[in-house]
Formats: sequence, C-alpha cells, structure tokens
Amino acid sequence: MKTEILRALKKRPYGQVLTVPMIVLATYILLALAAPVIAPQNPYDPLQIYGWEASSSPGTPGSGGYLYLLGTDGLGRDILSTILYGLRISLVVSITSAAIAALIGLTAGVSAAYFGSWVDSAIMRLVDLQLSLPTILVALIAIVTLGPGIDRIILALIIAQWATYARLVRSVALSETNKSYMDAARLMRLPTSRIIFRHLLPNSIAPAVTLIPIEIGHAVALEATLSFLGLGVPIDKPSLGSAVANGFQYLLTGQYWTSLFPGLALFGLIASINFVGEDVRRHLDPRSRPV
Amino acid sequence: MALISVALGRLAQAFLLLLAMSLVGFLGIHSVGNPVFNIVNIETATPEDIRNATIALGLDQPIWHQYGVFISNVVRGNFGTSYIYHMPAFALVISKLPATLELACVAMLIAAPVGVGLGLLAGRQSGTVFDRIVLRSSVFALSIPSFWLSMMLILAGAILTGWFPSGGRGATASFLGQEWSVLTRNGFWHLFLPALALAIPNIALIARLSRSGTIEVENLDFTRFCRAKGLSPRRILLRHTLPNISMPIVTIIGLQFGGMLAFAVVVESIFAWPGVGKLLIDSIQLLDRPVVMATLTFISVTFVALNAFVDLFHAVLDPRVRLSS
Repeated sequence: MKTEILRALKKRPYGQVLTVPMIVLATYILLALAAPVIAPQNPYDPLQIYGWEASSSPGTPGSGGYLYLLGTDGLGRDILSTILYGLRISLVVSITSAAIAALIGLTAGVSAAYFGSWVDSAIMRLVDLQLSLPTILVALIAIVTLGPGIDRIILALIIAQWATYARLVRSVALSETNKSYMDAARLMRLPTSRIIFRHLLPNSIAPAVTLIPIEIGHAVALEATLSFLGLGVPIDKPSLGSAVANGFQYLLTGQYWTSLFPGLALFGLIASINFVGEDVRRHLDPRSRPV
Repeated sequence: MALISVALGRLAQAFLLLLAMSLVGFLGIHSVGNPVFNIVNIETATPEDIRNATIALGLDQPIWHQYGVFISNVVRGNFGTSYIYHMPAFALVISKLPATLELACVAMLIAAPVGVGLGLLAGRQSGTVFDRIVLRSSVFALSIPSFWLSMMLILAGAILTGWFPSGGRGATASFLGQEWSVLTRNGFWHLFLPALALAIPNIALIARLSRSGTIEVENLDFTRFCRAKGLSPRRILLRHTLPNISMPIVTIIGLQFGGMLAFAVVVESIFAWPGVGKLLIDSIQLLDRPVVMATLTFISVTFVALNAFVDLFHAVLDPRVRLSS
C-alpha cells in the first residue's frame, strides 16, 4: 500500500517536490507555526518557569505537570519549548531579511544594468567592496554599528546579503538590455520604472531567484552566529543560536543538553534548507545538473 | 609592461577599498557608545574628570577631524593606544597574530589535501555510492554552524573522552622571536580541535570544487588520450587532471585562508584561543575603539593582499591569464 502511494507520488509531475529535505523543512515550518499550541511551556512567561528546576537533565518530570523531555537550561526553561519558540525567531529573522535583501539587491542590480555609467559604477563598486569581504565580517561590522535587537539584526543581515543578488542579476540584465524587446519598450516610450520592473526584471530574475533558499540558509546561520557572539537577539527571547550560546557556559560542566539539542535543531534546519536550495537550483538551472 | 599597469590599477582600487572600509568602520565604532566611560570610573568621576579625559583622548573634536587624525596616524602605522591594555593597538594585534596564523595554517594543511583528495576520487567515479556520500556529507558539513561544531568538538573530544584539552593554547616554543604552539606536543594537542573546527567546512568546499572540476576534465579529449595511451589512472589523476583543475582550487584556498581569519572570530572565542579574532570580539564588547579599528584594518589589508596574491598566482599557473592581461 505504502509503496503504491509512493509510486503514485513519483509519477506525478511535481512528485520530485516531495523529497526528504522538503518534508523535513515543511515539518520545521509547521512546528514553528504551531509552537504556542504544542510547546509544553511558554519560555517567555516567567510564571511558567520554575527556577529551582534549572539544569534538569533530559527526562526529568517538572512541576508544571509535564516531562522535561530534553531537560531545562540554566534559567529553568524547558529546552524543547525554547527550541520551538526559538525556531520561530530564527525563521522570521532569516526569511524577512532574505526577502528584503533580495528586493533591494534585485532592484539595485537591474537599475545598475539599465542606467549604466555612474549609477552602475557607484552600485557595483559598493557590491565589489562587500563581496570582497566574508559575509560574516560584513554582518559583524554592521551589527557593531547598529547595536543589538531583532530589528537591527534583520537590518545587518540585509546589509550583508543584498550584494550577492545585485551582482548576479546585473550580469544577466546586462545582456538583456541590448535585446530587441528592450528597444521596443524604449521606442514605445514606456515609463522607465515600467521598463525596468515589467520588462527587464522578469527576464533577468531567474538565476537570482534560485539563490533565495540558499541565502535564507545563510541568514539562519549568520543570525545564529551573531547571537552566539552576544551581538544578536536579546537573551530573554532566544533564537536557536542564542539558545545554543546560553548552553555554552554549562557545557564544560558536562550539561551537554542545553547546547546539544538547540544546536541539532539548528543544524537540521540549515541542512534541510541547503538541500532544498540545491534541489531547486538543480531543477531550474540545467547547467548545474551533475553529469 | 601591461602587467605592471594592471597591477598598479589593482593596487589603487585596493587602496580606495581600504579607505572606504576604514570610514565605514570608524563611523560604526563611533556610533556604538562613548568610550570615555571605559576610561573613567563612572561612580567616582566628576564631570570635570570626564571632560578632561574626553579632551585627552581627542573625543571632543568633530568626527571628521577625528577621522582625519586617525587616517594620518594610520598612514604612519599608528592606531593609538588601547584603552584597556594601555599598549599600542597595532602592536597588540600583531602580538596576537602568530596564534591566529598557526591556527589557520594548520587548518588549511588539513583541509586542502583532504578536500582535493576526496574531490578527485569522487569526481573520477561520479555517480557511484562514494561520490554521492561525498556530495551529501559536503552539504551537511557546510550546514553546520561553526560555533556549534566547535562546541560539539569540545564535547566529544574533550569532555566525554578527555583526549584533547577544551581550550587555551597550551605549551609554546619560541621560534623566530615568537611563541608557537604547533612546535610542542602539548601545544599541538591544544591546536588540533580548533584547527579541525576551521577545516571541516573548508574540506567540504574544496572537495565540491575539485569534484566538479574533475568531472569536467575527465570528459575532455586529452584525458581520453591519456587513457588510450595506457597511463595508470593514478598518473592521469595526479599529473594531468590535478594541474588542470588547480586554478579554482588555488583561488578558493587563497580566499578561504582569508575567510578563516573571519571565522577565527567564532572558533577562537569558543576555544579561548588568544588570537586576533578573540581580540576583536573582546574589544567590541569592551568598546576598545583603537583595537577594533586596528583589527578591522589589519583583516582587510590581509584580504586585499590575499586577493592580489591569488591573482598573481593565476598568472603563474595559467599562461592564458598572462597573455590576456
């Protein structure tokens, strides 16, 4: 029965969508959405946290009438609940920043290609400057400049990531600007914004779109790293990265669970996004298909 | 002649790049907080003390003036004195450099041969189980956040098994007037885990790159000719395939070596490895502005130098680059 269903799924044109990483990723998103319903505890509510049960090992029964399945951290928060709530913050931060970075990067790249001359050199010198440095360093400089906070970290991630989209979309758009449909649009005296956004952008967007899932994965890792260094989201509302960081000081005393489980969740999230991103690119870009 | 003008042009661009970097960094550090409060004791200082300290540090001047003073000092190799350590900031950064350098070198000495080897073997037999394992695990290796990888290495290698120390630099030996951990047995044990943490993502990156390069080259006529000539597979792989895929690999090794300086920030903080990265994070948290500026400038200079070095190396490795430039 099961194999029949699987075979039927594989036959459908979009059967390839149902890969293992895709299912894992969908589960992550569902868990994040359902966190307030399924989490045994609200880790942001001090009334639900029992301080004397701090650093309980996995499987200890708690006073709230539930089991600390993955143990508690140094403040007495249930690790499982912290992971579920942290997942929401990690996903919101990374998806928001990747989307806005894509929007800014695409606009900048297409404009650079369309206008050329000084607009092009101004935008592309900035892009070159950023891409010549590792993303983590750019994000680090940005967050040091902006200070801590969730809105700031989103901004820092946008600053760190827009340039990748800009360079890719510009290189495609440059070859599009000379094509005859662009000449036609210009001859029809369409408004510049309409030419850029309705004609040039849709025709040069494809390679950049395949970047988005991969960049979301990068954003999750970057946010986690910055939070780990104490430069990211505030400690009372931990993302997955700061949840791992909270556990670091307890690691050396052998309390592995405070950093192991949030880190595993983070690793699984990034890995599933990266696998999905690679699949997306392989399907959409025939050149990267393995021989 | 043409080569010289290209090199000069690149150098000029690099300087502009550095100037922009320094301006961004300067404004950034400036907006974080007032460093005067790190110098004076907040509880006992009178407004008079604070004013005197502000004037002594030159923080009462307008920001463009501070930047002008800073740039003219930087040109003379003077970044000012650390607010915390009370020693010249640049000398402080340089004193931490050997630790970071040996960490990055050992990591690359692990990553490059292992990565290239895996990539060559996987690429030669593409589509086999081995190839798929290499490809899959490379995605996993690139997905592990480096801080969590470091912590798990501490957990597995130090806390659970006790094989390696969990942090610090261990015993060092003196060589060329600097202290090196890699020269002593104890120091090398301390070095191993952080170097592995830096190496693992790079192994994956290099392996993927050499795999795709190998697949491309193995389908070209000259490798078929080599095979027809009856050369051993190992000789084809090492003497004919490897030199032909070396360009992108050398590029990525050069650039990742710089990237290691950036990722050392994370790894050094976790392993309490007293290098440039740990200094940067500590200085950011202590608002030690001269040291942050000196560190950022130093890292960007290193990047520019590495980029130039990689370009020059291209010209040596590939005659086509020499001709076109």
